[in-house]
Amino acid sequence: MMPETTDVETINRRRMNLALGIVVLIASIPILVTYFILMASSFANQMITGSMVGQLTFTLRNWILFFEGKLTVASAAVYSAWDILRYILNTFIVAFGVMLVTTALATMAGYACSRMKFKGRKFLIQLLILLHAFPGVSLIIAVYALYIFSKEPIPSQWWTLYAFIYVIVARAALEIPMDIWIMKGFFDKVPWEVEWSALIDGASRIKVWKDIILPLVKPGIAAVAIFSFIAGWGALIYVLVFLPPTEKTLATYIAGLLAGGSLEVVHLPVVAAAGTLYLLPTLVFFSFVRRYMLQTSLSGIKG
Amino acid sequence: MVSIRLDKVTKRFGKVVAVNNVNLEIEDGKLYVLLGPSGGGKTTTLYLIAGIYKPTSGRIYFNEKDVTDLTPAERNVGLVFQNYALYPHMKVYDNIAFPLRLRKEPKSKIDSKVHEVAKFLRIENLLDRYPHQLSGGQQQRVALARALVKEPSVLLLDEPLSNLDALLRVYIRAELKRMQQDLGITSVYVTHDQSEALAIADKIVVINKGIIQQEGTPEQIYENPRNVFVATFIGNPPMNIVKGAVLEDGTIETTGSRLTPPPAVLEKIKRLKLKNILMAFRPENAVVSEHPMEGRFSPMGDLFEVEPLGRDAVVTVTVGEFVIKVVMPTKEAMQLRIGSKVYVNIDPNTIKYFDPNTELNLEYIEA
Ligand SMILES: Nc1ncnc2c1ncn2[C@@H]1O[C@H](COP(=O)(O)OP(=O)(O)OP(=O)(O)O)[C@@H](O)[C@H]1O
Ligand SMILES: [Mg+2]
Repeated sequence: MMPETTDVETINRRRMNLALGIVVLIASIPILVTYFILMASSFANQMITGSMVGQLTFTLRNWILFFEGKLTVASAAVYSAWDILRYILNTFIVAFGVMLVTTALATMAGYACSRMKFKGRKFLIQLLILLHAFPGVSLIIAVYALYIFSKEPIPSQWWTLYAFIYVIVARAALEIPMDIWIMKGFFDKVPWEVEWSALIDGASRIKVWKDIILPLVKPGIAAVAIFSFIAGWGALIYVLVFLPPTEKTLATYIAGLLAGGSLEVVHLPVVAAAGTLYLLPTLVFFSFVRRYMLQTSLSGIKG
Repeated sequence: MVSIRLDKVTKRFGKVVAVNNVNLEIEDGKLYVLLGPSGGGKTTTLYLIAGIYKPTSGRIYFNEKDVTDLTPAERNVGLVFQNYALYPHMKVYDNIAFPLRLRKEPKSKIDSKVHEVAKFLRIENLLDRYPHQLSGGQQQRVALARALVKEPSVLLLDEPLSNLDALLRVYIRAELKRMQQDLGITSVYVTHDQSEALAIADKIVVINKGIIQQEGTPEQIYENPRNVFVATFIGNPPMNIVKGAVLEDGTIETTGSRLTPPPAVLEKIKRLKLKNILMAFRPENAVVSEHPMEGRFSPMGDLFEVEPLGRDAVVTVTVGEFVIKVVMPTKEAMQLRIGSKVYVNIDPNTIKYFDPNTELNLEYIEA
């Protein structure tokens, strides 16, 4: 459609978008300012505050220090560069692990909840919401007991690997109920007839699922993927509890820097560099899946 | 070359009996219309033929071959859904090519077939668009193209025109009929629009509450409905019903007017020991006037409404518990006064007689 058409919907949407945009912008100013200070500080000789703008200089030193595992210019390296890389890798492992497990299970279970008739389906769907309302922390004792118990028969050289798997699955388990609910909503919008049509055209069940249904719920999958990625990326308590103390993620690394009074000894812009790095993948990942989330591929279906 | 046979087919959804013990034979190359009110079981019957639903009991045959346990794909049917069910994420071209790609046909063959069917349905210029960029009529053609491109043995259409405006509907249904005849493809067409059914069907199957009410050519269905339901469902306005008392001497009386039924009818009335009888007549076979007319059966009632529709008007009269609609020249109708006592003068030769207990047309009751 031509952009200059003046149908009712377009006008309303434009005004709505403008109004919404302004509101969102105003509401976001504190957050945006905070993020800006964080990122800019990581490239400055000192933390940016209002009074010392004049004395700032640009530098990459904070990043170099961070990757050398040093916390101040003078100090010896507390962590090796190798450690830092490993922490970054660990963070990715946990984040992608949680994302993969959550997205795969939530997509399949969401389809089942939307399409299949089985006993107790309604109850299960209501339970999903309740489960999501459970704070993860309150479960951790039981989850920990289960961890200790299930670790027993495993040879000790595998424990680290097992800890990673355990963290991923346990953290994913917290995300899955809500994401099943989200996916169910997307599957509900796909008409049965589209599925049947493909069956009549000669597609196998798997083919229908892969070529017809999944593309139609792509926005849902993208949303669930990014939510669970963020959840895994920021996972703190479960990582602290289950991973051995030597295996940190960026979240626990930064938390460690900030904890126990060490804040007064470290060079803050180094922490800012760590924080910036911690933010970055989420932004990249978000911009990557954003176009899927906004796809309105169901708009062509009537009835 | 496929004929279809449903043998004592029943489909239940929990407690609902959507299709109830249906026996039906659909001849090869003919266009059958399943006609009935909403919830009558039309779509369910169609889906049973397609293989989307499995019957709760009964068997389905294509050419004497039992297909009851075959998948939809194995039955090789083309189905146009009521909401078209196009694949929204695929362009029109890919929608039409989808069934061919599943058959692993060579690319060049797929391409030529898609263009051939697109040309046939005049949607060649739309192949590059997405379904949501099409009008209802265009979507309908794409759905039809997708169903036809695989050269199905049976074409099934579920209210394919219900989303179109009245003019386009009349135009496309004629086109559909011609296409069906050209291809000689066995077709089942579902609609709740009786005029659509009368216009395109080789045979009409009237279905209500999951039960086949009558099966026949449009003429048979229109001229000689098998029961009261069919009589009051077909036609616009449909047939009128009046009730009469059967007197000792064999005549029928309504509001003082008397009628001597034909001997065959009289005989059946006697054999069935009917005290009352239902009489049905078409709106065009009666005239409303202030005085009873000679040679006509003329029940008396109150004039309720006159709706002029150009040359003709629809005149509504209440006779006892029954509402009667008569189509007559507007000029004469305008002479009548609303609320006055009038006579509905029915041509006795056009009256159909129904048993009030079974609501069956006496002609369909074995002598
Ligand atoms: N999947 C289903 N589950 C439960 N009941 C169903 C289902 N499909 C149909 N029914 C019921 O079966 C009956 C027949 O439905 P069907 O869809 O065949 O009617 P129809 O004649 O196609 O009506 P319409 O003109 O409204 O499309 C209805 O009472 C309906 O509620
Ligand atoms: Mg229907």
